[in-house]
Amino acid sequence: MGRKRKYMLENVLYTLPALILVTMVIYIPFVMSGYYSLTEWNGIAKEPVFIGLKNFKTLFAGNTEYIKSLTFTAKYTVLFMVLSNVLALALAVALVQKIRFANLMRGMFFIPYIMSMTIVGFIWKFIFSQGFESLFAKTGWKFLEWSWLGESNLAFFAVVFVGVWQSLGFYIVLYIAGLQAVPKDVLEAATVDGAGSVTRFFKVVLPLLGPSITTCIFMSLTNAVKVFDIILAMTKGGPGGSTYSATLDIYREAFQNNNYGLGSAKALVFFVIVLVITQVVLKIMHSREVEL
Amino acid sequence: MTLQRKRQIKLVLLTVLIMIVAVIYFYPVLLMFINSVKPFGEVVLDVIKLPSKIEWSNYSYVIDKMEYGRLFLNNLMITAIGIVGIIVFASLAAYILNRRENRYTKIAHLLITTPMLIPFQTIMITLLKVMGVLNLSGSRVGLGIQYWGFGIPMAAFIYSNFMSTIPKEIDESALIDGASTLRTFRSIIFPLLKSVTFTVIVLDVMWIWNDFLLPLLMVNSSNETKTLVLSAYTFVGQFNTQWHYAMTAMVLAVLPSIVIFIFLQKYIVDGVVAGAVKG
Repeated sequence: MGRKRKYMLENVLYTLPALILVTMVIYIPFVMSGYYSLTEWNGIAKEPVFIGLKNFKTLFAGNTEYIKSLTFTAKYTVLFMVLSNVLALALAVALVQKIRFANLMRGMFFIPYIMSMTIVGFIWKFIFSQGFESLFAKTGWKFLEWSWLGESNLAFFAVVFVGVWQSLGFYIVLYIAGLQAVPKDVLEAATVDGAGSVTRFFKVVLPLLGPSITTCIFMSLTNAVKVFDIILAMTKGGPGGSTYSATLDIYREAFQNNNYGLGSAKALVFFVIVLVITQVVLKIMHSREVEL
Repeated sequence: MTLQRKRQIKLVLLTVLIMIVAVIYFYPVLLMFINSVKPFGEVVLDVIKLPSKIEWSNYSYVIDKMEYGRLFLNNLMITAIGIVGIIVFASLAAYILNRRENRYTKIAHLLITTPMLIPFQTIMITLLKVMGVLNLSGSRVGLGIQYWGFGIPMAAFIYSNFMSTIPKEIDESALIDGASTLRTFRSIIFPLLKSVTFTVIVLDVMWIWNDFLLPLLMVNSSNETKTLVLSAYTFVGQFNTQWHYAMTAMVLAVLPSIVIFIFLQKYIVDGVVAGAVKG
């Protein structure tokens, strides 16, 4: 066997397991979704019936459920991104100071992130119902009496709040790492030049945090658009279907309504939307970063 | 008052303030623990009050009812199988993809890492069908193998990026000394990748251990693929009026993660940060 042949054989041999595995669980199902999206199939009938682009027409002709779930997801994502990043940055700035028990407190913020999102959803469902009732009896604060999971508007904020609560620790540690990487001499130079702590933060620290901000914005975006577990545990999409996210809607269409064709079409449109948005955001963020 | 002293006072005030925020933030987790050891009835009566006596029998009841031992074993095995496969296949592939540049490796690199852009929910409908045909939907090994496919893209990406920082001269000199490619990888490159391997382990253990959607999809296939979180989900659904049992089940589902985190906080946080920055 020639050296070149052996070399090529090695290339294939080392990468083949990865290629086969990825193809098996991702590419084949992906291509099949593409085919199913052109069919009507309830999962029970032997063969899907080919119907062309009818599913997509149904979606864009104003399938209200679908549009509603996309709108919900968009609103959820925007609010989630703003809250996660602003709160995490503020807490990170406080936690990098030389304060006592900093590590313990970082841990307390981080623990919800290592817990399963489903369980987090349940904890808060319990607090919003039983917990608030007990607190209300003690304090008499009006907002504790509101039906946080039973009213559409409130349920939206409740779900966003719990989503942020679960993952805030993750963004905090990312921002802490970014803050620790800001060079000390630059900060000292700014102080010597007479910059106060507020000016220093907005004019020096924040621009130098560019890469951390990009990472956090991007991660919060990709995590928010896929929100599923927390909502399933807290509201199951209710009340009145007002908290169905795009992913939960795909799940419902396929596995509860047994419309595999329409569900696949929804999944594909979702994929394209997410792909376009994430790439655009990534481009914008990278172009705005400052080099030191 | 000197400037130094003013600074100190400010710092103490900040410490107190952030401590209060941290305690309030963490309180819901405590509430779960507190209510899991309350006798029946006390939960409904007052959630905030501490239990009048600690009711450990909640735990023995739920452990028995959920078959906790079997679930724990399921989780452990699925996670272990998943991690080992991801590390072996991703690092092997990344080695070739990073070290040898030709048309084949370029295409392979693209094919292996692109799936990072495909949300799981896009393919979940058909995944169930494909896995059924391949007979991978109803066993711990089958679920572990599925995680290989889902975990490899990101792991290979992180490995390949990191490998760029290892000088090529290191493996070239080993090859000149007559070591085979596999030997070079195993004895020289892989040990140098220790920090990345650690990052991959942290990220993927957290993901697989807590994953909910994949086990949910495969739920009807067999008892073997029932995981802790999935069973806690069904259990809480059944016991949603008996909150003391529901809380106990929830504690049992998250306790392993919390205990491990308490011991390995620094390493876990470092791994998560490294993964996000490199990924």
